Amino acid sequence: MQLLVNGQAHEVDAGAERTLLSVLRHEVGLTGTKYGCGEGNCGACTVLLDGEATRSCITPVASAAGREITTIEGVEGLADGDGLHPVQEAFARESAFQCAYCTPGFIVSTVALLERNPKPDRKQIRAALSGHICRCGTYPRILKAVETAAELMGGQTGDTA
Amino acid sequence: MSAGKDAALVVIGPPKWSLDPENPVPPEDDAVLLRLGEDGRATAYSGKVEYGQGIRSGFAYAVADELDLPVDSVEVVLGDTRMVPYDRGTTGSASTRTVGLQLRRAAAAARQALIGLAAEEWATDAGGITAEKGEVLEIDGASRSARFAELLEGRTLEIDIPEQIVIKQIDDLNLTADAARRVDAIARVTGTAKYSRDIALPGMLHGKILRPPSYGARLQQVDTTRAEQVPGFVAFVRDGDFAGVVAEREDAAEYALETVRARWEETRVDSSDWSLPGLLKEKAKDLAVLRESGSLDAGFDAADRIFEGVYFVPYVANATMEPCASVAEWDGGHLTVWSGNRAPFTERAGIAQAFGISEDSVDVITAEVGGSFGSKSSTVSYEAARLSQEVGRPVRVAYSREEEFTWSTVRPAALIEIRSGVSSDGEIVAWDYVAYHAGETPFRGRRGADTPYGTANVRIAVANAESPLSSGSYRSLGGAVNHFAREVHIDEIAAGMGIDPVELRSRNLAHPRYRRVLEVAAQKFGWSSRSGSDGKGFGVALGHDVGSYVAQCVELSVSGREVQVERVVAAFDCGLALNPDGVRNQVEGSIMMGIGTALWEAMEFDGGRVLNPGFSRYRVPRITDAPEIEVELVGDPDTPSTGAGEPGIVPVAAAVANAVTDATGTRVDQLPIVPRL
Ligand code: FES
Ligand code: FES
Repeated sequence: MQLLVNGQAHEVDAGAERTLLSVLRHEVGLTGTKYGCGEGNCGACTVLLDGEATRSCITPVASAAGREITTIEGVEGLADGDGLHPVQEAFARESAFQCAYCTPGFIVSTVALLERNPKPDRKQIRAALSGHICRCGTYPRILKAVETAAELMGGQTGDTA
Repeated sequence: MSAGKDAALVVIGPPKWSLDPENPVPPEDDAVLLRLGEDGRATAYSGKVEYGQGIRSGFAYAVADELDLPVDSVEVVLGDTRMVPYDRGTTGSASTRTVGLQLRRAAAAARQALIGLAAEEWATDAGGITAEKGEVLEIDGASRSARFAELLEGRTLEIDIPEQIVIKQIDDLNLTADAARRVDAIARVTGTAKYSRDIALPGMLHGKILRPPSYGARLQQVDTTRAEQVPGFVAFVRDGDFAGVVAEREDAAEYALETVRARWEETRVDSSDWSLPGLLKEKAKDLAVLRESGSLDAGFDAADRIFEGVYFVPYVANATMEPCASVAEWDGGHLTVWSGNRAPFTERAGIAQAFGISEDSVDVITAEVGGSFGSKSSTVSYEAARLSQEVGRPVRVAYSREEEFTWSTVRPAALIEIRSGVSSDGEIVAWDYVAYHAGETPFRGRRGADTPYGTANVRIAVANAESPLSSGSYRSLGGAVNHFAREVHIDEIAAGMGIDPVELRSRNLAHPRYRRVLEVAAQKFGWSSRSGSDGKGFGVALGHDVGSYVAQCVELSVSGREVQVERVVAAFDCGLALNPDGVRNQVEGSIMMGIGTALWEAMEFDGGRVLNPGFSRYRVPRITDAPEIEVELVGDPDTPSTGAGEPGIVPVAAAVANAVTDATGTRVDQLPIVPRL
C-alpha cells in the first residue's frame, strides 16, 4: 500500500487492519507521533489527514492511503519559509511543555485549528484541544502558546487576507 | 571514563554539593563533572534525569553563565551510566540545589583555571583578566585575548574544584535569568526528542508480556500452538509466572499474545476500593510517633471546643503520558538497557541483581522521559532484558495504557484522624494527628504529617498499612495527602468558630515564611470571607514541602456534579528562584495535577483487578478544566533555593475541597469530590 507522508510517497507492507499510528512509527520510521492510550482518548497520536486533525491510533491504515498525511515531522514544511512553523515557535517560546510527550499532538491539532479559525478565542481553543491530555499540566501555557501562534501567523498572512 | 582523549580541560569532583544544612548530600566518589573540549564546547555530566522538570536546560544555562560561554556551546549528558557520575535518583526536588550548584562550581573552577593559564602565558596578573563568550581577555587594555581552546595548547588538564571556589552572584547569572526557552525546546516541538519507545536497534524484536488476570495469580498452564502460527512470531518465553511473546513486529507480538491460552490460579483477594477506608486502619501496623510534646489531656481540658474529623484519600495513578518502555540488548554477558527511568544507577543495580551479574556488566542509558511524578520502575527493563536474553537479539517492551495503569505503582491511599482543641479566640491548644498510609515500606506518610500551627500539646503519629495495590512514589508522596486532611480540618475549625479561614490560619502561624505566602496569596486573590452556597466558592490552604512554602486561594463554581475551578492564586517561596519561569511551570503543573486528585481521580479495583485502567474511566484534568493560574514567587533571593517540582501540589486538594464546601455548604472529607456530589 502506498502512503503519502509529509509530501513523500512510502510503499509499506502492512495489513489493512493495522493502525496508522503503528505503521507510521514502525514502518515509516517516524516516531514523533506518540502512543498515549491507543483508544482515541489522549490525542498524543494526532496527525493531519488532508489537513484534518485525526487520532492515528484508531485510524486503520487503509483508510489513510491516498490521502495527505502530515505528522509532527512534516509541520515545518507547512510553514512559509525555513525553520519552525509558527505553532512550534510559539510552543517553544512559551515553554508550553514539560516532558513534551504530549507536545507533537497538541501542535498538530493547533495547526489544524488555526487553519480553519485563525483567531480563536479561549473557549474555542479549549474546545479544539479538549481531546488531548497533558499530564504535566501545562495547559495554561498551551492556551498562551496557541494565542501566540495565532498572532505570529496573523502577522504572516495579514497582507494576503 | 568520559574524559576523552582529545585536548581538554576536565573538572573532577564529587557530583554533588549543597549549602543547605537541611539537605546534606551523601559523600560520593569523585568523577568527571565537566569537560571543555578543544572545539570550545563544554559538556556537563550528571546522573540526574530529565522527565520534564527542565534540569537539562537549567544545568546548561548555569554552566554557560559560570563559564562565560554561549548556552549553545554547552551540552548536558544526563542519566547515562557509561558516562555520568553516580546518583541515587531524581527525587525530592533536589537537583538544582545539589547537582546544579556543584556544576556551577565546576564551571567556575574551569573558568578560573583558564584565566590562570592566560595569566601565565601573558605573564600578567590573573586579576586583570576576565572571560566572555568563550574567550579570556584583559580587562583594561583589552589588548590580548584568547579562545578557551587555544589556551589548552593541545594538552589535557585535569583539575579539582578548589574548596573556596567563588561562584557568581545571582545578579550575574544573566543567561539563567533570561532563559526564555529551554535548550531542548527544538527537539521537543519538532518531534525529534527520543523517548525509550522511539529507540530502535538493528535487528530489534518486540516483546509483549503475558499478564495475569489478577494480582498475585500463578501461571499453571499455557498453550501457544496458535501463537506460533502468527506471522512474525519468534518465541514464547516462560520462566515460572513470567511469560511473554517475542515477535518481529509489535502488532504481531500483540496478536500472538492474544492467541495464547493460559490457565492461572488466582488468589481470591476480596478487598476493593469500597472496603478501603476501614481496611487501612484494620491492616495498620507500626504506629510511629513522629513528634509528641506537652500534654494532649491538658490541652483538650483547656479547650473551649473540640473538633474531630476523619479524612480519606484513595489510590491515584501517576498516569504519565508516556507508558513505560525499555529496549534491552545483550552483548555476551554485557547488558545495555535504554529506558525512561528516574534513577539509572538504581535500575542498573536492580537489573544486575536480578540476572546475577555484576553492576559493571550493565549499562543503563536514559532516554527522554515522558513524565514521572514518582513512577517509572525498572520492571519493564527487566522484562525486555529477560526476553532479549532468551532470543539473543535486542528486544523492546512497550506498555499499553492498560498495562501502565495496571502495573505501575500508585500513590498510596490513606485514612487520617484528627482531633483538635481550640480556645474561644481561635487558638489551637491541642492537636492529635494519626495517619494510616497504605504501603509496603514503613512510614510512607511521614512527609507533611506535622503541623505548622503552633500548639504546645501535640501528637503526630503515622502508621503504615498493608496495601492491596502496589503503591509507590508520587508527586510529594504523603505530603499532598497529609496536607489535604490538615487543611480541611483547619477550615472545619474556622467554620465552627465563626472565624475567617485566612484569619484563623494567621492567628496560629508563627513562622514568617508561612505567614508571608498566606498574606500574599490572600491579598493577590482579593480574599474575602464568603458564606457562598450560591454555587460559587472560595477556598484557601497552605503547606510546606522539600524546603519550600506555598499558599493557594481557589475560586470555583459548582453546578450539579460539575465543578469548574476558575482561578487559582499561588504564593510560592522556594528561596532563590534561579529560573523563575521554570519554577512557575512546575507550580502550574502541580496545581493541575492536584485538581485532578481533588475532583475525579481514584483507582477502582476489586478482587485484585483494576477496573478503570484507561483515560475513559480514569478522569484526568484536560484543558477545559484549566483555571486561570497566577503564581507569585515570594522567595527571598538570599535564601538558598529549595524544591520547586513538588510543593505546588500539597495545598491544592484542600483548597479545592474548602472551596467546594464554601460553594455547597456540604463538608468534604473524602477525595475525590465529584463522584460524591
Ligand atoms: S494514542 Fe491515540 S488518542 Fe491516545
Ligand atoms: S508536557 Fe508532559 S504530558 Fe504534556
